[in-house]
Amino acid sequence: MKYFITSFLCLLVLPLAAQAKVNIFACEPEWGALAQEIGGDQVDVTVAASARQDPHHIKAKPSLLAAMRKADLVFCNGASLEAGWLPVLQENAARPDTVFLFVADYVTKLGVATKVDRSMGDVHPDGNPHLVTDPRNIMRMAPVVADRLAAIDPAHAAEYQDRASAFHSRWQSLIAGWGKKAASLQGQNVVVYHEGWAYLLDWLKIRQVAALEPKPGIPPSASHLQDVLKSVEGKQIKAILVSPYQNPKAAEWLSEKTGIPVVGLAYTVGGNDRADTLEHLYDDTIDRLIRGQND
Amino acid sequence: MSSKFLWAASTLALFPAIISPSYAASDAEIEILRAEIQSMKQAYESKISGLETRLQDMESKQVAQIQPAAGGVDAASVSAVSSQNSANAFNPAIGVVLNGHYAAFSNESSDVAGFGVGQEGGRMSEGLGLDEAELNFTANIDDKFMGKLTAALSEQDGETETELEEAFIKTTSLPYGISVKAGRFLQPIGYLNEHHGHTDDFSDRPLPNRVFLNNAYKDDGVMASVILPTDLYTELGAGVYRGNDFPGGGSDGSDFGSWLSYLRTGGDLGDDVSWMASLSTLQSRPEERAANDDTVLFHGDSDLYAASLRMTWAPTGNNTEQEVSLQGEYFIRKEDGTYEDSNAGTGAVGYDEHQNGWYLQSVYKFDPQWRVGARYSRLDSGDVPAGLAGSALDSGGHDPWNASLMMDWSNSEFSRVRLQYGHEEPASGQKDNQFILQYIMSLGAHPAHTF
Repeated sequence: MKYFITSFLCLLVLPLAAQAKVNIFACEPEWGALAQEIGGDQVDVTVAASARQDPHHIKAKPSLLAAMRKADLVFCNGASLEAGWLPVLQENAARPDTVFLFVADYVTKLGVATKVDRSMGDVHPDGNPHLVTDPRNIMRMAPVVADRLAAIDPAHAAEYQDRASAFHSRWQSLIAGWGKKAASLQGQNVVVYHEGWAYLLDWLKIRQVAALEPKPGIPPSASHLQDVLKSVEGKQIKAILVSPYQNPKAAEWLSEKTGIPVVGLAYTVGGNDRADTLEHLYDDTIDRLIRGQND
Repeated sequence: MSSKFLWAASTLALFPAIISPSYAASDAEIEILRAEIQSMKQAYESKISGLETRLQDMESKQVAQIQPAAGGVDAASVSAVSSQNSANAFNPAIGVVLNGHYAAFSNESSDVAGFGVGQEGGRMSEGLGLDEAELNFTANIDDKFMGKLTAALSEQDGETETELEEAFIKTTSLPYGISVKAGRFLQPIGYLNEHHGHTDDFSDRPLPNRVFLNNAYKDDGVMASVILPTDLYTELGAGVYRGNDFPGGGSDGSDFGSWLSYLRTGGDLGDDVSWMASLSTLQSRPEERAANDDTVLFHGDSDLYAASLRMTWAPTGNNTEQEVSLQGEYFIRKEDGTYEDSNAGTGAVGYDEHQNGWYLQSVYKFDPQWRVGARYSRLDSGDVPAGLAGSALDSGGHDPWNASLMMDWSNSEFSRVRLQYGHEEPASGQKDNQFILQYIMSLGAHPAHTF
C-alpha cells in the first residue's frame, strides 16, 4: 500500500517537474493575449472565455477545473466580473502556489458605487469591470504581468521584462496615435447596450446618453426601449454600441426607429476577424467608431 | 462656458504685441502673425472644448454619485462606521435563499410502491407552502481552511425547525490537487445529490433521488479527493461517514456506517458542448433504517451504485441567450438484510434483491430569462420475497414513473418563478396530476454555481 501511494504521488509530481513552460489561466481573451505577448514561448495560455461569451456568465465547467488545476498564474479581470464562476474553480482546483493576478487591483476604476443594492441590477460594488475597453489599462498591466512571470520563472525574468518594456513603449505611441485619430469623436453621443463601454467612452471623451438594458444585466424590455426612444429624440447620436455576445435585436429595433446606426464592436481580442490581436482590436474599434457603421 | 471671454482676453493680451511693431511691419510679417494667431486660436478652442467636455463629464458623474446616496444612507457615515468596526471585514459571506410554492395534486396518496421512502423523499406539501428557507455562511478560516454552514429553516406541524444541511470545513492549500472535507455536507453521489435544491431545474427531485437518497444524502464524515493534472478533468474521491442519514440509519457511531467513492471526468466538445460524467457508489450498513413514517424498517447492507451524465450546448458557448442541457442518472441498489413492514404485519423478512431507477431531463433556455424543460423518471422495485407480499415493498408488478414539464422565468440570476406540471403513477392504479407554482429567490451573497 505504501509503495502504491508513493508511486501514485510520483506519477502526479513527475509531469509537474518535467514541464518547463509557465501555465497561465486567463479568464478573458484580452488578458490571455497580453500574457502571451509578455510570456512569449515560455508560457502556455488557456483562456476561459471566448470573445463570443459573456464574461459575466461563464460556467465553472470541467475543462476549466482541469485548466485551473495546472495553472501557475491566474490572470483575470477582477472587480467581481468573474464572481459567478471563478471562486468555484479557485476553491476546488487551484494549487496553493497558484498566483492570482487581478487587473482591477492595478487600474483606476470608474463607477465605483458608494451604495449598492441588487435592485440596481447586476452592479459591481468594486466599479465597472469592463476594463478592456481602454487600451491604457492593457499597457499598464504589461510590466505587472512581467513581474509575476519573473517571480514564477526567474530563469527567463530578463526576457519577460524586456518584452514588457518594449510592449509598453510601443503602446505609448500606439495609444497616442489612436487618440489623435479619434479626436473627431470627442463630445459625440452614443447609446450602449450594456454599461460595458465606460472606459472606452471615458478615454475618447464620448458621451453615453442611454443604455438599452434597463439595469445592468437585465435584458432590454419593451417599455424601457420606449423610454430610450424618447430620450434620444432630437439628439445627434453617433451610434448604438453592441458587443459580439449581446443580442443585437433591441439595438436593431432602435436603429430602425431612429436611423442611428448599430455599431458592433469587437469588445475583446477575437470579437471579429480583424481584431485578432490586442493592437488590431483598438485599430478596429476606432475605425468602426469613426465610420459609424459595421463594415 | 466662457469660451468667448477667454478668447477675448487672450486676443487683448496679444493686441499690444501686434499693434506696436505693426507700423514697421511688412506684409509678410503680418501674414506670419496672422497665421500664428490663427494657430493659437485653434489651440485655445480645442483646449477649451476639451475642458468643457471634462466639466460636463464631471458634472454627470457627480449627479450619478449623489443620486444613490441621497436615497439612503449617507456615504460618509457608512465609511466612518465601517472603519470603526474593522472586525466586520472578516464576517463570512451571508446568503439567504427563500422558497415558496403552491401545489395541487389530484391524487390523495403519493406512496411510491415497492420502496420504503424516507421523510424528505415524499411529495411536497399541498396548497400554499413555504419551503425551506436556506441560510448560508461561508468564509476562509485562515490560509489553510475554509468553512461553510447551511441551515435550513422550515415549519413542520406548527413548529419552526432548524435543520443543519451542511456544516463543513475544507482544506484549501494541500498540494497535488488534493483536498479534504470534514463535517456534514452533500455527498458527490450521482450528479444532483451534491447540489442544493434551489439550483435544480425542476421543483422536485426525480423519483430515484427521492427513493434511494431521500432527496439528498448528507452525512457526517470525512472525504478526500484529488483532481489529477490531466487535460481531461478527472477527479477521484472517497469518504467515510457516520451512517445516520438515509440510506443509512440507526448508527450508534461505534463504526463507520457508510462509505463512498466516486470518479468523475469531463471536458468540452468544440466551443459549443461541455460534458461531465460520473460513477459513484455509496455503501451503507443501516442498523435500523425507518421509512414510510417509521412503518418500514430495514437492517442490513445497502449498496447503491450511480452513473450520471450531463451535457450542455450553447451556440459559441454563450449561454446568456440560449442553452440546452441534457442530464441523466442511473441508480442500482443492492440490499441484503431484513425488511419489516409494521403496517402489513410482515415481521422481519430476509431480503436480498436489486432495485433500480433512472431519470433523463432536458432544459432549453430560449431567451435570456425563459426556460422550458421536460423530465421522465422511472423506478423498478425488483423482485419481492414471498414474506413481503402485500407490503409497501410489493409494487404488484407496477413500475412507478413520473413525467414532468416545467417553464421558468428568471428576472435576474437571483430570482426565479417556475410553473411545473407532472403526471405521476406512483403505484398501480394511482394517477396523480401535479401542478406546482414556485418561487426561488436568493438575497445577500450568492454562491458561485458549479457545472
